[in-house]
Amino acid sequence: MTTCCNPTDTQTETRADNPTAKPRYFVDGTKEAYEVRVELPGVAKDGVSVNLEENVLTIHAKRKSAAPSESKPLHRELSDLDFTLRLRLNTEVDEEKMTAALEHGVLTLRLPVKETAKPRRIEVQ
Amino acid sequence: MKLTRFNPTALARVSDFDEWFRHPFAGFPSVGQFFGNLPEFLSTGSTGRLAADIHEDKDHYFAQFEVPGVKKEDVKVELNNQLLTVSVEKKEKTSEGERSYTLTRSVSVPDGVKPDGIAAKLENGVLTVTLPKAEHRKPKTIEIA
Repeated sequence: MTTCCNPTDTQTETRADNPTAKPRYFVDGTKEAYEVRVELPGVAKDGVSVNLEENVLTIHAKRKSAAPSESKPLHRELSDLDFTLRLRLNTEVDEEKMTAALEHGVLTLRLPVKETAKPRRIEVQ
Repeated sequence: MKLTRFNPTALARVSDFDEWFRHPFAGFPSVGQFFGNLPEFLSTGSTGRLAADIHEDKDHYFAQFEVPGVKKEDVKVELNNQLLTVSVEKKEKTSEGERSYTLTRSVSVPDGVKPDGIAAKLENGVLTVTLPKAEHRKPKTIEIA
């Protein structure tokens, strides 16, 4: 997989017109499926949207600020930007069989490779 | 002739701790800086090692750390002699198997904090440590007689 489309590309931006950060992510692949793990700390289940269109996977997540509302910041190192991640898949995946789970702030996506895209042996007559 | 990689980030880290000297939480530099500096072990904050946010309201201080993928049993929060230490064990699954490493951050806790009331909560990969202020640290309004 490769990352494509910098979030600041204006012609493809329909959502996320505010600046976003790219989260840390890991991709493991086998012939059967891709597994994508994205670190999304501070994001609740309802804040994530996963979209697969024309082999581009787009993940957009809204952070929930965990700091109590009345508080005053003394020292800031964490960012409070929302997350956007775009990945181009070089193999076709079966979106019907795609699964996503969010736990402990990590989104795990399982993308099974489409049957027709799996490697095949061709017999020589 | 051999080309080796120059890693300036290791040196840059040490200067971070002077930021801490400007407010009550001034404390030790991140102990984790000395744990090796392979880039994939860094978390997303600017200090690169268990980044933290500190907030306060009139009754409490709040320290938040981003620890995605970490379960409650892998987090240790300790208070020893006014030093609050958060240690996190991260396990990562790779194609070769599992790999685990520890991240840690220490902050010195000012005496204006009630040590028995400190609480910690882990939600959505964010650890929030709440430290109640001792009475003399709370803002007070003084009546004019």
